[in-house]
Amino acid sequence: MHNNNDKDQDQKVQIKVGIKAYIALICAILFFSGIFMNVQDMEWVKSFFHIDHPDKFKAFDFTSLGGQFGTMQHPEKNTFLGEGGLSAKAGFLFALSLIPTVMLALGVLEIFTHYGAIRAAHKLLTPLLKPILGLPGLTGLALITDLQSTDAGAALTKELYDQKQIGKKEVIIMGAWQYSGAGLINNYFAIGSAIFAWLTVPVVIPLLVMFILKFVGAAFVRMILNSLYKKDFTNE
Amino acid sequence: MSNSHKKETNNPFDIFVIGARKGFNIAINNLMPNVLMAYVIAYILNVLGLMELLGSVFSPLMSVFGLPGVAITVLLTAWLSASAGTGVAVSLFAHQQLGITDITILAPAIFLMGSQLQYMGRLLGVADVPKKYWPLLMLTSIFNAFIAMIIMRLIV
Repeated sequence: MHNNNDKDQDQKVQIKVGIKAYIALICAILFFSGIFMNVQDMEWVKSFFHIDHPDKFKAFDFTSLGGQFGTMQHPEKNTFLGEGGLSAKAGFLFALSLIPTVMLALGVLEIFTHYGAIRAAHKLLTPLLKPILGLPGLTGLALITDLQSTDAGAALTKELYDQKQIGKKEVIIMGAWQYSGAGLINNYFAIGSAIFAWLTVPVVIPLLVMFILKFVGAAFVRMILNSLYKKDFTNE
Repeated sequence: MSNSHKKETNNPFDIFVIGARKGFNIAINNLMPNVLMAYVIAYILNVLGLMELLGSVFSPLMSVFGLPGVAITVLLTAWLSASAGTGVAVSLFAHQQLGITDITILAPAIFLMGSQLQYMGRLLGVADVPKKYWPLLMLTSIFNAFIAMIIMRLIV
C-alpha cells in the first residue's frame, strides 16, 4: 500500500513540473555556472552573438553579484568597511556597521516608553483628534500605538470598529493616519538610523515633519470622504 | 532565558537591554537582509546601466524636490519596503550618487510612502478598511511624501 501511495505521489509530483520549472532550473544553472562571469574575455561569444557590452552579463552571474569587500586604501580614515566594496559583500558589512546604533536607539526608546512617554503622548494627542480629524478621543490609543507598532495599531482599530465604537468613515480616516508612515517611531529609529549620521538637520526634524503630515493626509482624506464620497456615509 | 519577570523589571539597565535586544533582532532579521538585497539590486541596475537611464528619465520630476534623478530608485523601492528604500539610499550615498542634502530631503518621504505593499495586508486588511478606499489612502501617502520632500528642501 505504502509503495503504491508513494508511486501515486511521485506521478502527481511529476505531472506538476511545468515549463516554468524547467526555465527556472535553466536560469539557476546559468546563474550559478559562472558562464556570464567572463563574457568580456570570450572573443568568440562576443563576435558570435554581436554583443556590444559584454560586461553587462555580470548582472546575471552569482560570483559577480557576490561582490567584494572594501579594502584599507586609507587606513587612517577607513573603517572595517574599507573602500571600494561592491554588491552583497559590501552590503553585508555595511549592515553590520548599523547594528550598534539600532541597538542603542531601541534600548533608549524602551526606557522612555517604560517611563510613560507614550501615555503622555496619548494625553496630548486626544484633544487634537476631534477638531482635525473628526475622531472621538477614544481612538487616540490606537493611533498612538500605531506609532510604535503597525500591527498592534491595526488590531486596536479593528477592535474599536467591531465594538461599534466607531463607524466606517472613522475607520478609513484612522487608516489614512496610520497608513502613511506606519509604525513611525520604531521604523524611523530602527531602519532610519542607518542614515542619521548624514542628516544635515537634527534627527527629530524629519520625525516632526512626518508626524504633522500624518494629520495633513488624514485631514485630506476626511475632506474627500465628506465631499466626493458623501453618499457612502449618509446612513451612518 | 525563561525569565518570567522579564517584562516587569523596573531596572533601567535591564529595560535598556530588552530594547537593545529588540534592536539586534530587527537589525539582523529586517535591516541586514534588506540592505544586502538593496546593495545587490543597486549593483545590478548600475551594471546594466539602468540606474543612469532611470536617473535621466526622472530627473525633471526629481528636480522639483532638489534631488538628482537617481533618487527615484530610493522612492520606488521604499514603496515596496522602507528598509529596502533606506538600503538603496545608503548604497547610492556610498557610491557618491546621492549627497547628504539629498539623503536629508528623502528621509521623511521614505517612511511616509514606505512599505505600502506589505502594510496593505498588515494594516488596511487587518483594520478592515473597505478596499474601495485603499487607492485613496495610497495616493494620500504618496502626496504626503511629496509634500515632505518640498518641506525638507526648504529646511535643508
